[in-house]
Amino acid sequence: MTLSFTCSHQWLPSLPLHILSRLLTLLLFLNFTGNAVADTYKEKLDLQPLSGQFLLASFNFQSHGPIEAFNKQMFQLFPRSLGQILQYTHTRELHLRFALGRWDSELWGAQPGDGQNAGGTGVETWAWVEADNDVEAEARWTSLNNALSGLFCASLNFIDSTRTIRPVMSFNPTGDYPTTNTSSLFLLHGSLPKEPVCTENLTPFLKLLPCKGKSGISTLLDGHKLFDASFQSMSIDVRPICSPHTGACDIEIQQTIDMVLDVSRSLQRRDSPVPRPREQHELICDTSKSYASNEYCYPMDNSFDLPWSLSDLFGRTISGGCPFAINLPVEETSHVCIHAPENRLKTMETHEEVYPTSTEGKPDLQCYMLRENVEFDLAFPKQQPPTTPLRQEPLLYAERSFTGHGQEHGGVKTVLRNPWPNDPIEVVYLESLPWFMKPYLHTFKARVLPAKGLGEEVISELYYRPALDRKRGTQLEAKLIVPPNSVVILTYDFEKAVLRYTEYPPDANRGFDVASAIITIPPQRRRSDGKLIPATSIRTTSLLLSLPTPDFSMPYNVIIFTSTIMALAFGSIFNLLVRRFVAVDEVQRMDLKGKIRGLIGKLKKGKTE
Amino acid sequence: MALRVPVNLRKNLSVVLYAFQGLSIVAVIVGLASLLLLPLDEYSRRTYISENALLPGQVHAYFGGSEQNIVRAFRREVDLLGNSTSDVVAERMAEIFRSAGLKVGKQRYSYKAAGGEYTGENVYAVLHAPRGDATEAIVLCAPWRNIDHLLNEGGVALTLALSRYFKRWSLWSKDIIFLISSDARAGPQAWVDAYHDLHGENIQSLSVKSGAIQGVVVVDYPGAYHRFESLHIIYDGINGQLPNLDLINTAVQISRDQMGLRTDLQEMWNHDDSYRHRLRTMLRGMVNQALGHSTGPHSSFIPYHIDAITLAAHGNGWHDEGSLGRTVESLFRSLNNLLEHFHQSFFFYLLMAPKRFVSIGTYLPSAMLLAVGLTLTAIRLWVDPRSRSGEEKVENAEKSEKSEKDEKAKEDDKKPVEVVAIDSGPKRELFLPMSIVIGVHFCGVIPFAVFNSIDYKSMASVFYIFIATSVILPTLISILITLTASPHRLLPAFHLSRCFSLLFLGMFLSTLATLNFSLSFLIGLFSLPLTFARTTPKSIPLALVNSILLQLTSPFAALFAVAGYWGLGVEDILKEASFGWWVWGMWTPVVVWCVWWPAWVVGRISVDSSFVMAVTGKSS
Repeated sequence: MTLSFTCSHQWLPSLPLHILSRLLTLLLFLNFTGNAVADTYKEKLDLQPLSGQFLLASFNFQSHGPIEAFNKQMFQLFPRSLGQILQYTHTRELHLRFALGRWDSELWGAQPGDGQNAGGTGVETWAWVEADNDVEAEARWTSLNNALSGLFCASLNFIDSTRTIRPVMSFNPTGDYPTTNTSSLFLLHGSLPKEPVCTENLTPFLKLLPCKGKSGISTLLDGHKLFDASFQSMSIDVRPICSPHTGACDIEIQQTIDMVLDVSRSLQRRDSPVPRPREQHELICDTSKSYASNEYCYPMDNSFDLPWSLSDLFGRTISGGCPFAINLPVEETSHVCIHAPENRLKTMETHEEVYPTSTEGKPDLQCYMLRENVEFDLAFPKQQPPTTPLRQEPLLYAERSFTGHGQEHGGVKTVLRNPWPNDPIEVVYLESLPWFMKPYLHTFKARVLPAKGLGEEVISELYYRPALDRKRGTQLEAKLIVPPNSVVILTYDFEKAVLRYTEYPPDANRGFDVASAIITIPPQRRRSDGKLIPATSIRTTSLLLSLPTPDFSMPYNVIIFTSTIMALAFGSIFNLLVRRFVAVDEVQRMDLKGKIRGLIGKLKKGKTE
Repeated sequence: MALRVPVNLRKNLSVVLYAFQGLSIVAVIVGLASLLLLPLDEYSRRTYISENALLPGQVHAYFGGSEQNIVRAFRREVDLLGNSTSDVVAERMAEIFRSAGLKVGKQRYSYKAAGGEYTGENVYAVLHAPRGDATEAIVLCAPWRNIDHLLNEGGVALTLALSRYFKRWSLWSKDIIFLISSDARAGPQAWVDAYHDLHGENIQSLSVKSGAIQGVVVVDYPGAYHRFESLHIIYDGINGQLPNLDLINTAVQISRDQMGLRTDLQEMWNHDDSYRHRLRTMLRGMVNQALGHSTGPHSSFIPYHIDAITLAAHGNGWHDEGSLGRTVESLFRSLNNLLEHFHQSFFFYLLMAPKRFVSIGTYLPSAMLLAVGLTLTAIRLWVDPRSRSGEEKVENAEKSEKSEKDEKAKEDDKKPVEVVAIDSGPKRELFLPMSIVIGVHFCGVIPFAVFNSIDYKSMASVFYIFIATSVILPTLISILITLTASPHRLLPAFHLSRCFSLLFLGMFLSTLATLNFSLSFLIGLFSLPLTFARTTPKSIPLALVNSILLQLTSPFAALFAVAGYWGLGVEDILKEASFGWWVWGMWTPVVVWCVWWPAWVVGRISVDSSFVMAVTGKSS
């Protein structure tokens, strides 16, 4: 409880003494009555080896606190900076995603956490904002984005009306709202596919944690390593959750980081930052080849799994557990877990003992508990022959690409593949397009391969909100069913708009990023075995749309050209206005004599004056 | 058709006619001369890197050392597969790529052209940029057999080795696609078509894709292991389109300044930067551009606005795979730096030495002037009183008695013949000449359709039949017209048909000059006799000279010239053209058969009519 004091003493001086004493007694009281109403915090690192010498590290940080305290601005573990923004903008539920790279589902299988923690490339955010009407919701959404933009050093303030959509079928609130009228909750969604996620976003992310990256598993989060990962996704979710028994509501903040490390590249970075060709003796050659010699080396791959340890991959060890997360009930204290077959050897290289915790029912799962101020490292010896890590088949594979070429028209093709042999799957496909990409809805077609009977309609529901130039983008949502073991190909054509020349970004010739399509699989029961499929979401990669781009030196040519004409016109008009026109015979003939006379006259005049 | 000309010119038309004739001759001479001036230092420029992001040669390239052992091993693997079918090759290549941890795709394709079937299987692998988002990609391509059908041992082995080497770097910002196309002509086309989902029925879709392709480098290092001397940079695309000059400049700068590798262009192996060599390089480039055919796997990418070049190893020297690998590595590092699609430098240029070029602003006038020469001749023919038929003259003169202005014209008519006012006189008879020109242009579709649909075997015979037909056809048409039409209408009709045909040709060539300069220039050059070959019933020797000149500058003569230039048979050129039309979408045959050939036929008709008129005595 001492820690709650340290955390809450920030606001102590500003409050009158009597309130302070009352609060102190309240806090002590809370401590004695149990943890149910005080903020709780847990953190967990899940390590999952993936095929192809990759390692998935999922960091999960979660804290709960009573919503009454939150509403009264009494923040214990909930980050004050974020909490105040949420309160000011009346945001009831917030989801924020930063993602980089792409999840390779062919190789790595289903995404961790059913894809709920992953966003599309760049930044994606959606929130349920409480408001009386649409206009107010829009205003609150804008101020929410502006505030978050400052908090996370991201360009979230660029999420304006053209990038905001209001999904109808794809998103459902994950929190509980027993008291709030759901009609006053507005869902708004925005995405910035071009935003490069980097260290400046990681630092504020870590600052939100109670231990701020100083202890606990978050010490492993170093920008250099995190952003060298093949796939990396950071997420923040804030939602209210209510207990169905007591009716008491908590506010929950969950921060996750999923990263996929390329083990061989990470290790090689440690050995030499530049991947020079290896020394001859380091090459692993296939000696069974007939030509194998010193000169010829047919490389052998995957003959063994590389040895690694946490400190090799992350550049440091875990410097003890986060104090907020260690005094918890035993079943919640497995801080670091690794999914590995039992037969795999693991050695602990720690200065003091760590506690492997019980993992009943899961032989391939090994979990460890962290102690305060006790460094923790995990080492993985070389495995020969290599093991094949467990791969969970994803529910659906999705891929999207542009078709056609040219400056005028284009097409989009999305391929959804259901790998399961017996179960059709219902999905909601959401596409949010910028206004300058104008789809022709009549070309929106779904094709099933292998072809089924004609009667079967793939798309069951379609929601379309057309774009308004420079005001809002297109929103296209389709509910469709992907038959088992088949492929659904969605296609549509679009027209490219011509922008005003000031509307182009500085790197106009790079193209314009089109946000990922969001594929949501609502929770449903599998037909074959009656198993419930949890809600899952999949993001396709973003696309690069090239628009007709003007030659930007053109305006300058025009400026120069018009300036010349202006100068000519002005010059001649000025000339006409200022110059006095005199007929030839009116001019006095000035010979030398006359000139001298005139000069003398002038001089005389000067003298008299 | 009131031409506003000063009063004295109105009175005396021959001045206008001479002026036009003089102008068109001057335009042609200046046009030709200005092309010959281009290689001079004063008119050409040194190349420079326009896109600052490229930073060519600013990074150290490390490829070499033990990587070369791997290249040698892959060379052996390629050698072992030398004569296997393309599906066996594709499977083995896919296996090697897969073991390097890349995403692999295969694509079967089949094209039908000139009675032949072109099938194969491409194999490619995608290296995902470590932190990339699949929006952009660059391609490293090696055809299994190069454009000369040689096994591209070094190129394929190098691509395989580089795919492993590149995977270890974490600095890639774009995906890298390694493409091993089954051949150098149809394979890349099938692949790039399918990449943009614009492929035909007999071409498989791609199973793995990446983002927008920003650049393509093709490596061509055929034959058994040998050290090479220089790097031949091939850059011509389909329909004479060219890659961005920055890409070529980057390749030249890296290979020359960083690797110490000589670069050659247009097969000019001993370029000493003299005027003669520059001119020859430029002309060879122009021939390639005019033909608009594929000069390597890179050519197929260029119509998609993807900049692509081929690096071909040439000669015997001291450079090995290491040098080529380092060049490619450095080039890819530069391409990787690109923030935007290539757009800075020139897309329209003529290269005359690896570091010397002229841009469109400098060279365009010469082709334009040729086209202008044709147009001016057409205008002169229109203004010429000989374009008016005699009978009409009288009728018209009678009709126009009422108005004062026309009275003046009547007076002019009574005056000696050479003084004719522009705006007056009898009407021109347009129906016959128009129908000749339009009819002949429609006929152009026939050879185009025939040569694109027949078999390779029958091509030569059909071609000779066609030559015979097009030699006889104009004579037949002129006999037909001469015999049916009234004598006083004949000369104006041939005159005006020449006028319309030249007008059309002139306008078409000036438009074409902005798209494919070389084709426009060469057709303009070959069409020069059309400006003076006219109907001369009174001078048979002149008509004979004109006729011979026209035969020498006919599309067939040009075809024979091209065949001679490459030492191929005419049927091979026609086969190439048919293949080009069906596979690459090459427009050169359309231009030749539907624009040039009709113009030539109309020219022949007017020349041949002089003989016919002389024989029939209808030379009024």
